[in-house]
Amino acid sequence: MNRLHPLSAVTLALQHGATGFSVPVLLVGLGSSVLDIDTGPLLALVPIGLVAGVGYGIAYYYRFTYEVTASTFDVSSGVFSRRSREIPYRRIQNVDISQGLFQRVVGLAVVSIETAGGGDTEATLRFVSEDEAERLRSDIRRLTAATGTSTADPESDRPVFDDSTPSTAEPTAAERTREDRSRGDVAPTLLFDLETRELLLYAVTSFRWGAAVFPIAILVFLGGADSGSGLVPAFVIDAARPFGGPETLEGAAVGPLLVLAAVTAVQWSVFTYVSSAIYTVANYYGFRLGHAGEDFVYERGLVQRYSGSIPVEKVQSVSVTENPLQRLVGYAGLRVETAGYGPDSGSSNQSAVPLAGTDRVYRFAETLTGVETPEFRSPPRLARRRYFVRYSIVAAVIVAAAIGLARVSTFDRWYLTAVVFVAVPPAAHLKYVNLGYFVGADHLVIRSGFWNRQTTVIPYYRIQTVSTRRSVFQRRLGLASLAVDTASSRTFSWGSPTIYDIDLETAREIHDTGRERLQSALRERARTDDLGLSVDFT
Amino acid sequence: METLHPRIRLIWIARGAIAAVVLAVALVALDQWRVTVPALAIAAAVAVALVLAVGYAVRRYQVWRFELQDDALYLERGVVTFVETAVPFVRVQHVDTQFGPIERVLGLSSVVVYTAGSRNADVRIPGLTPDRARSLQETLRELAVESEGEDAV
Repeated sequence: MNRLHPLSAVTLALQHGATGFSVPVLLVGLGSSVLDIDTGPLLALVPIGLVAGVGYGIAYYYRFTYEVTASTFDVSSGVFSRRSREIPYRRIQNVDISQGLFQRVVGLAVVSIETAGGGDTEATLRFVSEDEAERLRSDIRRLTAATGTSTADPESDRPVFDDSTPSTAEPTAAERTREDRSRGDVAPTLLFDLETRELLLYAVTSFRWGAAVFPIAILVFLGGADSGSGLVPAFVIDAARPFGGPETLEGAAVGPLLVLAAVTAVQWSVFTYVSSAIYTVANYYGFRLGHAGEDFVYERGLVQRYSGSIPVEKVQSVSVTENPLQRLVGYAGLRVETAGYGPDSGSSNQSAVPLAGTDRVYRFAETLTGVETPEFRSPPRLARRRYFVRYSIVAAVIVAAAIGLARVSTFDRWYLTAVVFVAVPPAAHLKYVNLGYFVGADHLVIRSGFWNRQTTVIPYYRIQTVSTRRSVFQRRLGLASLAVDTASSRTFSWGSPTIYDIDLETAREIHDTGRERLQSALRERARTDDLGLSVDFT
Repeated sequence: METLHPRIRLIWIARGAIAAVVLAVALVALDQWRVTVPALAIAAAVAVALVLAVGYAVRRYQVWRFELQDDALYLERGVVTFVETAVPFVRVQHVDTQFGPIERVLGLSSVVVYTAGSRNADVRIPGLTPDRARSLQETLRELAVESEGEDAV
């Protein structure tokens, strides 16, 4: 039985105390201002709430225990309703350790343990000491490796704690060395180290939409300082004025308003881009990937440190991602998908190599999965026609909207929007040329996307379901899309790798190939116990 | 290839009818509070919605097929987007039979087959008699256990 680090009692008490304090305060505020009732008696609840919150936090600390047993990781928690959970090691997808700035200063860490399925982390230890976190991770890794071989090796049924080492003697996993290599507990071998140049390039070439909230957050944070005209801050209008923006919002014509919107969008994009670059640097600074036994281990982060391990056998698919900017400079990233719920923006898709030369990344992907160099096949040209029609419809809708706007307002140059039709042919073409698929001996390789081109390598033995989909329009043209689903925590199946708009014949063929090779691969693997992935991929 | 029980059409038509009623209420509300909508237009819109719902339900029933093949559960379904799905038995995590309140009234039930894939890729076979649902669940469970090779996830 282990408890969390004593400091977590303090943070829990503070956290719950703050909640207990603020709820009655809010109620009092609400009661006096909105409902206009005498809230004097309610004020007595404030200290009670505070004490109750602090008490709850401390009780939570004392009632939270975890234990590393021979075959499961056990967590019991809950003050009033108790929950005890046993996680079998062979079900653990990855173990992640993260440390915020404060936690780094006081030497604490958060350990999260993920299993497949479920929309959430299975166990979170909010604050154990750094050493304890490392010890847990390496113990779990060692025990997972041990349970993996236990069917073949009855020896490993012996008590596993006979060789547990005091964590003070061996502070980090990097310094650990063990003779028992088969147990998976060996010092990590470095596979990839993100150089400063690559980090900066990654920051400059990647665009995270999530960063769009930063400018808003900053505005809200600094809000009130200069927002003279209500909802729209004054500087937004000031910035648009030289380009023909409106003097004020009231009674402005449509033309100047559109200018205002455009200028604001540009401003916002620039801020988003800058914050996204900063975010990337902060998150991927010092990225290192290594392997310890049959696990990948990584660490990254400038202010908040993340580190974790991903068992290689849990990797479902591997994909190479490149956006247009990265293709221009000849760089790409490598991501691995596991079935768990990862720390990376809540998806199970984790960066194995954030950014490296394209050739290198493709070589990594090939070595890791053992796929032959893919010779991509393109969908029939009919597909391009389909995209042409699709984008033309979108363009027509935009023009129609402009006409509609011209009808109800003073805006009369609607015909200018017809310029969007110019973008239709290149858009259709770019969409088409970035599609590709390759049916390999042991893998299916699927490529799609112009803005975020993903080339996904799916081993046949990882297939969960295969679906051939045909919309009404595709049926008219005799085309079909083939969706290959692998184990993941994605909510929607349309996120799963799909070969778009191929001939129905071809789609059915690949559908059957996938099914057959899944079966043969399963038989093969049952015989040879081969991982199918090579750990030492760089 | 097995088809669904014909009574499933009633459920789907009923669902469509409910949607049509919701549409009618929305249109009437629009008429009351915002702009005047001619009563004839409302009636026409609701009638069209009803016809579409019935047509959709009938077509959906005609298209729905499933089959237990050697290695996988195979399904065909979909009116607008026609989908052929294969769920290999090895990949079946667990199988549920479900009886909704309306389904129970009509003496029908569904079988839901879960895989470790994307969450909404789980397969539901509606419109089965309770006996067929149970036997299908049983068969699938046996096939899943039988074909259990190694650990998928």
